[in-house]
Amino acid sequence: MRVIWWLLTVVAVSLVSILLSEQRALDPVQNVSLSITAPLEGALRDLANPIADVFQGIVDRGDLVRENERLREEKELLEKQLANQQDAQVRIRELEDALGVKQNRPEDKLLVANVIAQDPSGLKRAIAIDRGSADGVDEGMVVLSRNGSLIGTVSRAYADFAWVRLITDPDSTVNAQVEGAPAAGQDASAARGVASGDVRQGVVLDLLPPDAPVTEGSLVTTSGLGGNYPRALLIGSVNSVDERPAAPFKKATVEPAAKLSALEMVLVLTSFKPARLAGP
Amino acid sequence: MKYFTAFAAAFFLAALGASAMPYVKVLGVTPDLVLIFAACWAMVRGQGEGMWVVPMAGLLHDLSSSDPLGTSVLALSPIVLLAAAREVRPVDTEFVPTLAVVGAGSLAYGLLSMAILAAAGQAAPWPQSLLRVILPLVLVNALFTPIVYLPLQWLSPGPRPGMSRLGQTTSL
Repeated sequence: MRVIWWLLTVVAVSLVSILLSEQRALDPVQNVSLSITAPLEGALRDLANPIADVFQGIVDRGDLVRENERLREEKELLEKQLANQQDAQVRIRELEDALGVKQNRPEDKLLVANVIAQDPSGLKRAIAIDRGSADGVDEGMVVLSRNGSLIGTVSRAYADFAWVRLITDPDSTVNAQVEGAPAAGQDASAARGVASGDVRQGVVLDLLPPDAPVTEGSLVTTSGLGGNYPRALLIGSVNSVDERPAAPFKKATVEPAAKLSALEMVLVLTSFKPARLAGP
Repeated sequence: MKYFTAFAAAFFLAALGASAMPYVKVLGVTPDLVLIFAACWAMVRGQGEGMWVVPMAGLLHDLSSSDPLGTSVLALSPIVLLAAAREVRPVDTEFVPTLAVVGAGSLAYGLLSMAILAAAGQAAPWPQSLLRVILPLVLVNALFTPIVYLPLQWLSPGPRPGMSRLGQTTSL
């Protein structure tokens, strides 16, 4: 009998607490809690980082050697592409000046934030950062890695902290496009799709037209459709392509450009207002 | 004093779970030390103490995650009911029933968390989450149980009459 009363009480208190939490009434409690635990979690992360690196280095040595060789080759190729791109960039700027075209993202304002925790539940992919609404962080804001690739959006902002939903979270969807010249007879929208988080595969690029020119290694960026993400933010590269003859859409798995499991510092894009924040 | 100790231990494990433990991946998942601790406490110290320690551990778990506050308190509550297995004594050891409670508690925790996420309007891909997260978590949590169980057993008062610790008969 005692256990039944206990269970009823716990269920009732939990449900009320969940409802209050969803109404944002308990945000101050969670903010205080993160303030208390952040120093301890930071110290534990600092301690765990080198240990994890050593073990990973031992386990992955063979893969690292092969990856190093592959990266050297890629570097050479990219340097060549960069040289061509710099030349093209100069020409674009000259043409934009001549035509008076407004730049898409003139001056991005970025806020540096430290990662203080990761969501321990395996059902979600989220990280906590040490910046909150007091620093100008708002829900829906875009979060980038140190190198500028997309890692997620702010899902919950407290006064001094915020939770960031990673692009690998099942709740995350991003309008994306596969970079590369469209094939003959296709328009620029031919390789647009939706990049969704996936518990199993990380990021899945779905709803691609069946004739979209997608190959392994193709770069995937944000398309800017919907207005929740700026255009041309790097998401990652195509890992594998799932092509079925009768399927109405093509599907691909995407390897995120940023190593999401080892993030220490991120950048919150405060200058870009997503459509859901910008209002009518 | 015992509840203060339980709070301190659960607090430390919750902080560890949100900071260092994500580096530890077995079968693609990270062991949930707070859940293991709550289950071990309820099994080693009894259902009565579990009634206090399990919600406390759930609250600390919630405070270190992005879930709505109360999710883990609710999702961990079946552990207290499962702790009744301690009294059934199907085998002459506390360890095997503890493993079973950790496993069953992990399954219940995963399913209840998914249900709460779905009710809160968040994406809840049931088949994938069940196969890729919840079932591996049942095994991984059971695998990590000795790490929490043994120190807790060592710090607790002597065994109850007729019971043994890890399967060996203890003289009374």
